Amino acid sequence: MQGQDTWKIVERERDAIDPAEGIGFVSDPGFGGIDVFIGKVRDLNHGRAVRGISYDLFDPLVLAEFERLVAEVRAAHGPLLKLYVAHAKGRLAVGDIAVVVAAGSPHRDEAFKACRALIEAVKHRSPIWKQEHYEGGDSVWSEGCSLCDATDAPVLPGATPADAAAATAARRP
Amino acid sequence: MKEMTVQLFGAFSELDAAREIRLQVSGDRVADLRSALRELLPTRWPTFRAGLLEYSAFADQQRVLRDQDALPEDGRVAILPPVSGG
Repeated sequence: MQGQDTWKIVERERDAIDPAEGIGFVSDPGFGGIDVFIGKVRDLNHGRAVRGISYDLFDPLVLAEFERLVAEVRAAHGPLLKLYVAHAKGRLAVGDIAVVVAAGSPHRDEAFKACRALIEAVKHRSPIWKQEHYEGGDSVWSEGCSLCDATDAPVLPGATPADAAAATAARRP
Repeated sequence: MKEMTVQLFGAFSELDAAREIRLQVSGDRVADLRSALRELLPTRWPTFRAGLLEYSAFADQQRVLRDQDALPEDGRVAILPPVSGG
C-alpha cells in the first residue's frame, strides 16, 4: 500500500472484500469521476452449475505484480488518479465478491480507462488461479492466460512507447 | 547438480500435499529445471497432464523468470500454470 494507490489480498476466511472501501479510498475532493469493477462468483460456467470457487494465490508475487500493474496504469492514465485493487483468497460461494478494482480521477474518461486497464491486467498477469466447484461434487482448475511470455506482453491501452519501456524495466530486477 | 524446491500452485498443487516438490537439476538455468520436470512429471505422476508444464512459467517471489534466467540462489521457485484471476 503506497500513497495514492493501494492493493491487497483478502483472506475470505477472515474477511470479505468491501467495494465501499475501494470507493472511499479513491475518493478525493478534486475527483469528479469514480469507476468501480466488482467481480463476483456466478452460478453457471460453460453450462455447468457452480457451487463456489477456490482462489489460490502466490501472495508475494501477486502483491509485487499489483504494484507494477498499478504503476503502469498510473503511467498511462495518471498522474491525477487514485487506484485500488483487492482480490480474494480461499473458498468463495456464489455471489461472493472475488475482486474489486476502483479508479478515481478528475473526469470520467480517465477513471473508466484506468479501471478497465487495471482489471484486465489483474486478470491476465497476476499469479492467481481459480478452482470451480460444481453441483455434481467435482472440481476443475480453470486455465486462462499463460505467463510464459508475460514480460513481452503488450502495453496497456493508452500507454506510450516510453511507458512500455518503463514497464519492461520495472519488471526486471 | 542443483537441488531445487518447486512451490506448486493451481493444478500443480494437487501433486503433493505439502504443495512443493524437490528435485535435482543438472544446470543452473530455468530451462534446465523445465527439462528436469519434463522427465519427472510423467514418471512420478503418470495420470497428471504433464503437457501443462509447457504452458507454465516459473517465478521467484518478486518476478516471473524467463527460461534463460539463472535459477534463484536460494533454490526455491514457484511453478505458475496459466492464470485465471478475477
